Amino acid sequence: MIHHYLLLAILLFGIGIVGLISRRNIIVIYMSVELLLNGVNLALVAVSSHLQSSDGQIIAMLIIAIAAAEAALFMALFVVLFRSRRSLDANIFTLLGGRRD
Amino acid sequence: MPSETLLFGILALMTLFSAGMMVSMHRPIDAALSFIVTLVSLAGLFALAGSGFLFAVQIIIYAGAILSLILFIIMFLNIKEENLPEEPHKWRWIAAAAALVAPFCFVLAKLVLSTEFGEPAAPVGGFGTIHAIGIDLFSEWVLPFELISVLLLVALVGAVTLAEKKEEA
Repeated sequence: MIHHYLLLAILLFGIGIVGLISRRNIIVIYMSVELLLNGVNLALVAVSSHLQSSDGQIIAMLIIAIAAAEAALFMALFVVLFRSRRSLDANIFTLLGGRRD
Repeated sequence: MPSETLLFGILALMTLFSAGMMVSMHRPIDAALSFIVTLVSLAGLFALAGSGFLFAVQIIIYAGAILSLILFIIMFLNIKEENLPEEPHKWRWIAAAAALVAPFCFVLAKLVLSTEFGEPAAPVGGFGTIHAIGIDLFSEWVLPFELISVLLLVALVGAVTLAEKKEEA
């Protein structure tokens, strides 16, 4: 059964990376990052259940707490970026280098 | 147990389908609503793996707090169609990214399938309950737990500082 869980975790991680590199909407990019974290959590829970030890679940819980901290920062960033550029396009935010247009 | 496998299959299909929808939706509100389905099916998978407490944590923190924060921000920003990026070749980009990621996923899957994990450990009484996790969390994992609390404080201060309205100089 652990093989099934790990394969599903790999697929979720892959979908998250596809969203991360192919979309331009920053909110969808942020949710793809959350999908990566969830894929890792699933793998940790599967291994923890296979070994019948709580350690994997505790790491997964800490990851959820980190995701919550990340969510707060991302939301503040969305508000700031949207206030200054009126757009959610990741290609517009080029102030840190690259092409200016 | 066949019923367990059936349940796993249903939840896995729901997770993958809604994750695919989340990645491909044009409007962020549709993506966020699909993401809720992903998170709730993942919570079901946690419960199926015997982690009852993590099931509750996933529902309360992820589906409850983080997703409602995302939905709140999406509605608060009042995003119109002209604020969204134009993605005329979205499907082409997604297909290209999938073609790029697929070999890595394939190698990882081969690796997992060729690994011998051995027999599952004998079921331990009270596995996955808040009692067992709490005992471990506050004996062996105290330092990471305290560091997370500092991290949350830093994130709180950072979020307030970032979102503060700057006076025009």
